[in-house]
Amino acid sequence: MVLTVFDKVGAAVLKGTDTFGDFAVLAGRTFAAIFKRPFDIKNLLNQFQSVGVNSIPVVVLTSLAVSMVFAVQLAFGFKQFQAEGLASQVEGLAIMRELAPVITGLMLSGRIGSAMAAELGTMQVTEQIDALECLATDPVHYLFVPRLLASMLVVPLLTVVSVYVGFWGGYLILVGVEGQSAYVYGNEFYKLLAFRDLRIAIYKAFVFGMIIALVGCWKGYRTQGGAEGVGNAPTSSVVTSSLWILISDFFLTKLLLV
Amino acid sequence: MALIDVVNLSKAFGPKVVLSNVNLQVQEGESLVVLGGSGTGKTVLLRNIMGLLTPDSGHVAVEGKIIAQLSREELFNVRQSIGMCFQMAALFDSMTVFENVAFGLRRHMKATEAEIGARVEECLTMVGMKGTDKLKPAELSGGMKRRVGFARAIALKPKILLFDEPTTGLDPVMTDVIGRVILDLKEELGVTTITITHDLKSAFEIADRIALLFRGECIACEKPSEFKVNPHPVIQQFLRGDADGPFLQDPPPPKRKIQEAHS
Ligand SMILES: Nc1ncnc2c1ncn2[C@@H]1O[C@H](COP(=O)(O)OP(=O)(O)OP(=O)(O)O)[C@@H](O)[C@H]1O
Ligand SMILES: [Mg+2]
Repeated sequence: MVLTVFDKVGAAVLKGTDTFGDFAVLAGRTFAAIFKRPFDIKNLLNQFQSVGVNSIPVVVLTSLAVSMVFAVQLAFGFKQFQAEGLASQVEGLAIMRELAPVITGLMLSGRIGSAMAAELGTMQVTEQIDALECLATDPVHYLFVPRLLASMLVVPLLTVVSVYVGFWGGYLILVGVEGQSAYVYGNEFYKLLAFRDLRIAIYKAFVFGMIIALVGCWKGYRTQGGAEGVGNAPTSSVVTSSLWILISDFFLTKLLLV
Repeated sequence: MALIDVVNLSKAFGPKVVLSNVNLQVQEGESLVVLGGSGTGKTVLLRNIMGLLTPDSGHVAVEGKIIAQLSREELFNVRQSIGMCFQMAALFDSMTVFENVAFGLRRHMKATEAEIGARVEECLTMVGMKGTDKLKPAELSGGMKRRVGFARAIALKPKILLFDEPTTGLDPVMTDVIGRVILDLKEELGVTTITITHDLKSAFEIADRIALLFRGECIACEKPSEFKVNPHPVIQQFLRGDADGPFLQDPPPPKRKIQEAHS
């Protein structure tokens, strides 16, 4: 009885280490391959298109919704002790520091991370990845690198978009509904923020972009077992990368705010 | 020294032993045909030669280099001189036929677009697929995909070509065309080929030597003329294409023989 428990725990630890090691090795190979020739500009631009441009609507809509609901809550909360003026300051702080990068990261892990996992997973089970290998092309170089680069650039950019949209979401509620002065809102929104906060938000988004692309590609690359495997790859990529986005968000916040 | 040297190769998936102690030598310029029942590990053999699978024991050496011991850089260098045609074609489905065939050329040759276009055209014409270059793989039939896969494998003019059932699913005329292309490549460029096929007619046409895989072992590897008269009961049954004999481990109970059913 005790032995089987030890057995199970041991097996789980070994499997976990194995999985993490595999991810680390592939991630390392991806970073090493960034500077290898040939540089595939066309492929990279395609990724920018599908990762970046096509994600704008999703990011705009979710940022708008979240910033609006957050403003409603803040207005309600601060009204309890007659401090409505603080709502716009806190709104700015929350959006810039947490909401914009995290919401963008989570939405994009669902939008692009899962697409990467599904695409690479299909390529794996239909032997297209083996075909790449046989054409003397490293799949890590050909498939991972453009996705990683696109994602590392696009997530920070979309985070900036999200901050901007968040400003207007708060504006709609606090100025439009709650009747605060537009001029005051415009000033107060940025009152508690320094340039450093934007920089931190962009660092975070950069790391989230890395997580999204690496986890998505890795899950796709390691797909096994036909249609069922291809079905599981995006799901597990979204779960894994969302988890790591939230965990790394905590540590990045702790680290960068000191 | 043999160009491709398969030494004591064994490979198992879990408890299932697929290849045990296979030995094969292919000389430069030679054309080897590998026959064998469905599921006897012919594809697994090619994947080991390509380095897509690692042997459990034994090794594969191409041009004297042991595949499993190469670094990835060296492995890709060796692979540049090998063309492989997959059983399921494995075309890149996000690219057109043209881009598929041009893929290796674009990545490994410093050629102009015009030269690449000419070479792609030439390869597609060879397999009777001229004019399909703008189609996507999803718009092709199974046999057409296979022929595009064939064109992609030969586009870089590799020294070694590995064909995994290039003619399965093709009509008899197209099968003959592919057989002739393989012979032409051998005569003109001196390429070394390993072809897996279930088509005995083209096997005897293109083979310098024929190997038969049976239950994970290579039970014969000899000239077609000798192979034909090899008294081994498995070989004779395979050549006759008869359900009765030692070939199947547990043969399905035959309801009635074909001849009797027709008479
Ligand atoms: N990745 C794998 N995992 C587990 N088993 C495998 C794997 N690849 C092949 N096999 C097993 O190895 C055996 C040989 O497979 P292989 O694809 O080489 O057959 P084959 O000789 O090419 O047959 P066919 O003529 O039908 O293509 C099969 O029984 C298959 O179950
Ligand atoms: Mg096969």
